[in-house]
Amino acid sequence: MPSSDESASLTPAVFHCGDDLVAAECTDTRSAQALADHLRESGEWLECVAGIASCVARFDLAATSPAEAEERMLSELRTVPAAREAGTDIVEVPVCYEGDHGPDLDDVCELLGIDRETFIERHTGETYTVDMLGFTPGFAFIGGFDAAQDVPRRPEPRVRLQPGSIGIAGGRTGIYTLPGPGGWQIVGRTPMRLFDAGAEQPFRLRAGMLVRFVAIGEKAFAAECAE
Amino acid sequence: MTIRIVKPGLQTTVQAGPRTGQRHLGVPASGAADPLSLALANRLVGNTLLAPALETTLTGVSVRFERNCFAAVTGAKARVWLNGERVKRHRTLAVAAGDELEIGPAKAGARNYLAFAGGVDVAEVLGSASTYLPAGFGGFQGRAVRAGDVLSVAPVHDAPEMLTTPRDFRPLAGTSWALRACYGAEVDCLDKDSRFDLFDTNFSVGNRADRMGLQLEGARFDVKSRGRLASAPVFPGTIQCPEDGRPFLLSIDAQTIGGYPRVAQVARADRHLIGQLRPGDHVRLLWRDTESAREELLAKHDYWREWLPGIRTII
Repeated sequence: MPSSDESASLTPAVFHCGDDLVAAECTDTRSAQALADHLRESGEWLECVAGIASCVARFDLAATSPAEAEERMLSELRTVPAAREAGTDIVEVPVCYEGDHGPDLDDVCELLGIDRETFIERHTGETYTVDMLGFTPGFAFIGGFDAAQDVPRRPEPRVRLQPGSIGIAGGRTGIYTLPGPGGWQIVGRTPMRLFDAGAEQPFRLRAGMLVRFVAIGEKAFAAECAE
Repeated sequence: MTIRIVKPGLQTTVQAGPRTGQRHLGVPASGAADPLSLALANRLVGNTLLAPALETTLTGVSVRFERNCFAAVTGAKARVWLNGERVKRHRTLAVAAGDELEIGPAKAGARNYLAFAGGVDVAEVLGSASTYLPAGFGGFQGRAVRAGDVLSVAPVHDAPEMLTTPRDFRPLAGTSWALRACYGAEVDCLDKDSRFDLFDTNFSVGNRADRMGLQLEGARFDVKSRGRLASAPVFPGTIQCPEDGRPFLLSIDAQTIGGYPRVAQVARADRHLIGQLRPGDHVRLLWRDTESAREELLAKHDYWREWLPGIRTII
């Protein structure tokens, strides 16, 4: 809501996106994560989920009215701590960019006006931060691939992707952990298992971790899958 | 006590309550797509309302009992047979060892719930006994049941009361549905006409209709997102509209984050109905502001409390 109050510009916009969902706009993913963590610690919300530039909280509509939830969100925003610093350990994620593993790689290269080798060089040449987990269990949103800032999602999502598919969209890399639908441009595939429901620690990556991609060939991919 | 699956049907899974509080890790709700019908079935066999039961999809299921047991069927409109004799839904059924219970194809609605006194005995994964098929965890071995599978039912000490759901508390499955809904976060991605049409279209449910979500057909909207929208949280009941202009209604297994404009959100009071939508059904969205949606939820709770005192934990 627009406001004439000058202090309003310091407070992120709070809005409803459903009868039991209240959201706050955030300047970036790390502040969205920090807000979601802060809300979760309060124990007052049913779900606290960060997006790329927003945080949505679900509340018990039977106990709390939408107006009360909005008020609560505004007051939480006044006490949210600063975003945490990223860690220093780097997780290396092997990626096969060859063959059928990256069905959209040629399209992405054409869009960026570069060849495959240059793309792979750039994608593996940076250290990235895991912005968040989401979409499906363990799906990792990995920020900082600025070269691909202008790569959009596919206009129509694919119905079934292979687990381990590495997608690109809007300057981010995403890793699909499960077979299923997805709209990102698929440039490769990792043999690494990022989610295991039965494991004591089901999630290989967590928000805030550092990641590097390492190019591997099709043989190495097949060998790692067989392990 | 065990039951054996004779005919598994199209997609029969063990479902209980949802997984909550883990969407930030990418863990979807899952659980009964129509939790109200699950609760009604459990009520009839003396279980807690969200005890694990079998959820069928469109085609039904048939099971054989290895011991005496109590069972109940609620949900989609379908015939039910016990050893070839028609029996009623919405009733506590006393079954004997060797009996075979069959639920026929759904004639209206999509899902039936077959509950057993004691509940299906499966381990909880990430906080719930419900099956999440896309990742293959929860429920019975993380998958839909197959012919020959043997499922354990937890023991009960006392026989449940023999009950019939009062007529006023038996939801009717039809082929036309109205879902109350509020605006979503990116309703602005639709122009004024499209926003009007969203609540003025007789949608039909497309063939892509499963526990993750359903395609709504009947109108194509002009969406101004250019495919670059920042990925944002989505929930069961969120209606997304990708650039192809065809709205997609997310259901109980919905992903936690989505990149397409969220144009509307089905109100909490009506989300349980999503589980009964089937391809070809007609759907209309009824616009509500958030405060009236709350009033209507409280009214719905008041109505159901008489038969299901725990209704607030169900819908």
